[in-house]
Amino acid sequence: MAAYILRRLLWTVLLLLVITAVTFLIFYVLPSGDPAARRAGRAPSPETIAAIRHSLGLDKSLPAQYWEYIKKLVLHFDFGQSYVNDQPVKTLMFDRLPNTIFLVSGAAVIWFTAGVTIGIISAVSRGSFWDRFLMGGALVAISAPVYWLGLVCLYLFSDDIGRWKIFPGAGSYQDAHGLLDKAWTLVMPWCVLAAAFAAIYARLLRSNLLETMNEDYIRTARAKGLAEKRVIFRHGVRSAITPVITVLGLDIGILMGGAILTETVFNIDGIGRLSYDAIQRGDLSTVQGTTLILAFAVAMSSLIVDIMYAFLDPRVRY
Amino acid sequence: MHRSHLRFLLVSMLAVLALVVAACGGDDNDSSSSSGGSTTAKKSDAAAPGGTDNTKAAEVEGKKGGSITMLAGSDVDFLDPGRSYFTQGYMVIYPTQRTLYSFKPQDSAKPVPDLAEGEPEISADKKTITVKIRKGVKFSPPVDREVTSKDIKYSFDRFFSENVGGQYPGYFSSIEGAPATPTKGVKDISGITTPDDNTLVIKLKEAAAVPVAAALVMPVTAPVPEEYAKKFDAKNPSTYNTHLVATGPYMVKNDASGNAVGYKAGKSIALVRNPNWDASTDYRPAYLDSVNIRTNASDANVASKQVLDGQSMMFDANPPANIVKDLATKIKDQYTQIPSGGYRYFPINTTIKPFDNVDVRRAVLAAFDRNAARLARGGKFTADLPTHFLPPDFPGFEQAGGYEGPGYDFLSTKNEKGDMTIAANYMKKAGFPSGKYTGNEEFLMVSANVDPNKAQSEVAKAQFEKLGFKIRLRLVPQDAVYNDWCQVPKKKVAVCGGAGWFKDFADPQSMLEPVFAGYTIPKSGLNNNMAQLRDDKVDAAMKKAALLDGDERLQAWADIDKMITNDAPAIPFVWDKTTLIRSNNVNGVANGYYTAWDFAWTSLK
Repeated sequence: MAAYILRRLLWTVLLLLVITAVTFLIFYVLPSGDPAARRAGRAPSPETIAAIRHSLGLDKSLPAQYWEYIKKLVLHFDFGQSYVNDQPVKTLMFDRLPNTIFLVSGAAVIWFTAGVTIGIISAVSRGSFWDRFLMGGALVAISAPVYWLGLVCLYLFSDDIGRWKIFPGAGSYQDAHGLLDKAWTLVMPWCVLAAAFAAIYARLLRSNLLETMNEDYIRTARAKGLAEKRVIFRHGVRSAITPVITVLGLDIGILMGGAILTETVFNIDGIGRLSYDAIQRGDLSTVQGTTLILAFAVAMSSLIVDIMYAFLDPRVRY
Repeated sequence: MHRSHLRFLLVSMLAVLALVVAACGGDDNDSSSSSGGSTTAKKSDAAAPGGTDNTKAAEVEGKKGGSITMLAGSDVDFLDPGRSYFTQGYMVIYPTQRTLYSFKPQDSAKPVPDLAEGEPEISADKKTITVKIRKGVKFSPPVDREVTSKDIKYSFDRFFSENVGGQYPGYFSSIEGAPATPTKGVKDISGITTPDDNTLVIKLKEAAAVPVAAALVMPVTAPVPEEYAKKFDAKNPSTYNTHLVATGPYMVKNDASGNAVGYKAGKSIALVRNPNWDASTDYRPAYLDSVNIRTNASDANVASKQVLDGQSMMFDANPPANIVKDLATKIKDQYTQIPSGGYRYFPINTTIKPFDNVDVRRAVLAAFDRNAARLARGGKFTADLPTHFLPPDFPGFEQAGGYEGPGYDFLSTKNEKGDMTIAANYMKKAGFPSGKYTGNEEFLMVSANVDPNKAQSEVAKAQFEKLGFKIRLRLVPQDAVYNDWCQVPKKKVAVCGGAGWFKDFADPQSMLEPVFAGYTIPKSGLNNNMAQLRDDKVDAAMKKAALLDGDERLQAWADIDKMITNDAPAIPFVWDKTTLIRSNNVNGVANGYYTAWDFAWTSLK
């Protein structure tokens, strides 16, 4: 197992290098505007743009620029400075990362709990009114765009512009102090972010559980006289939930790169917002930094999920 | 399917539909589809009913104290007065810094002395400007001393360095010693001298004192203390942006060593009172105690509603078109509208046949439905339809004909939806007897791939096609539109899908010369004269007018505006208005110079 983990970590490092190179190339090969021209203001002379390009290091060859970037990153953990406001990218990112982690973690707890619960109920009461109702609701939740759902929730439930003033509105997370206060401001964003995922997990678990409950060993468990609850949870769900865990890990990893839409509609300063703004402004260094964070999160979550597999499924060995 | 199941399904679908309709609320696109009819009033035809008179609001004796929250969709570019060049930055800079000259909210055309004691003295040969600096103005903590002329000189010196990278060096390039390219490190600009602590002398290479004096309203003239700032300016880029000091009534909250702790990039900016500000030296009332600017309010609809429904809040930019319509028709008293001080236009490349023929260009203008282009940007409550180029409330506007304009038949208040008869006549004059273009070639139009520019360029394409032109519309990222296409003559863009030119200071030369003077077209580099207009008469008139001052100057530039309009090198399609909204309990005052709320004049009711 240790050797496997080490191998995966080394592959992760290589993956991150490849990703920085690809991001670099995309930024320069595809038309995205010239950061130097953008900083030069109105009616700049070619000499002014050239001088700015030189000060930003943009006049060096692409390999030289890339090498400079990697050197700073590896030796000093320095992600460079934002082309837009000259702030250190590391500060910008790590200032926002806890917000994204809090948002995603809370939502993950909700969507996993809700998804598993709904999936079990639906599978166990297959064909009943509750099954149809819950699966119909899941379809709606999957179909509803996150941004739209967020706006609907704000217009219905936020305490400033909502019809029923229940939950803190957009921007309230920034003003909250203390964990509980911040958590209260995240109730709506958590629910909005969790909705589609819960629905997907519910449907996934339902279909897996239905399949599992038809297996021979389930029939055997019943034949042995085990209580139905025990049969379902100890034997059925345990087996059916494995793919759900895999997806959970990957989803959390991807969202750690930023739940852009949720962060935007609720004005939460997370990694997603940062990367969106950076893309809009052609801020390469910030785009690279946030892309690395995303890649790292996905790689790590995928590794964790694979390790958990070994504990969930005794047949899996590394 | 059983009947009961079918009924259940139908009921569910109806419930979902009801939910969708309820959630979507009112008609968000109404303002885009309503034409509102055509009014040919002598005043602005886009004046939304209701709204606060900004001049009256500025004259209200406000209540001292209180705090405002400003919701902003994006961060400032920079807080450093030597670097900032956008409205957001100016909105923070002007209440916190004292420039040599600035504008009262009541008059965005005439600057008043601020840090300067009086009007600039211009020598007879127009090559020297002398400014007396006001006494008693102090820097905020931790500098805590009186401002001298050397601080303004240092501002200029650092502005020209690559460490700071001032974004409008062209306005001051005529200063003796001003470098052609940014200097490595902060270097002395020989043309700026300080014979004593309260006198600043600017020597110029040419007789350009009038426009340079007009440019002394810009943030670069805010003083920067060298002994404090030089360690930050030694870095490249300078870090003064997060260690700045203030001279205005407010300052960005900082700690004892000057770190701007109140500035959280991309999140918020906290403004507090500058303890060293002396009200007796300043014309600003500064009623508020503090301002909290949230720079992450990304959804404009939500933010607008929060402001309108909440208390002590303001929004930094134009609300969405649906909100503007509600303001004009329902809410009525929580907004102020001011001219944005610029024009938006579609440049027509005068070097590409047949657009090198002035009658063809006039035909295009005559046929053009400018109201449709305005709709693409939000409709009649968001902008006026131009009849020339100098915008409303700008020096020279009235002399150029005001809202009615010079009265050319191809660009008047009478044909805002286009007049095909007039257009056909011009085409016939140009040698197209059918009244339309009969050639087969495709003309390239380049525009941004996002709205509203995308929408407005699609309108423009349709207008050209009405006259028989075949247009190939190429959509590219916003940043590439000018830098890679429209400002690059060799790309042969026939029509740029929308450009804008907005004032940097209140002088008509800065609004017309960079955009339409033939002699500004560079041999290489980016070209602001996207139409590539080369009219010897216009150029000669500009060179002559540059040397004039006072009313004579305004009249001369107004006449140039008429000449340019007559040349039809571009289709001006909107004079933007900026709509600013506030909560009910706020007496909001806007500054027409940087077209944003002015914290130094705003108060709570």
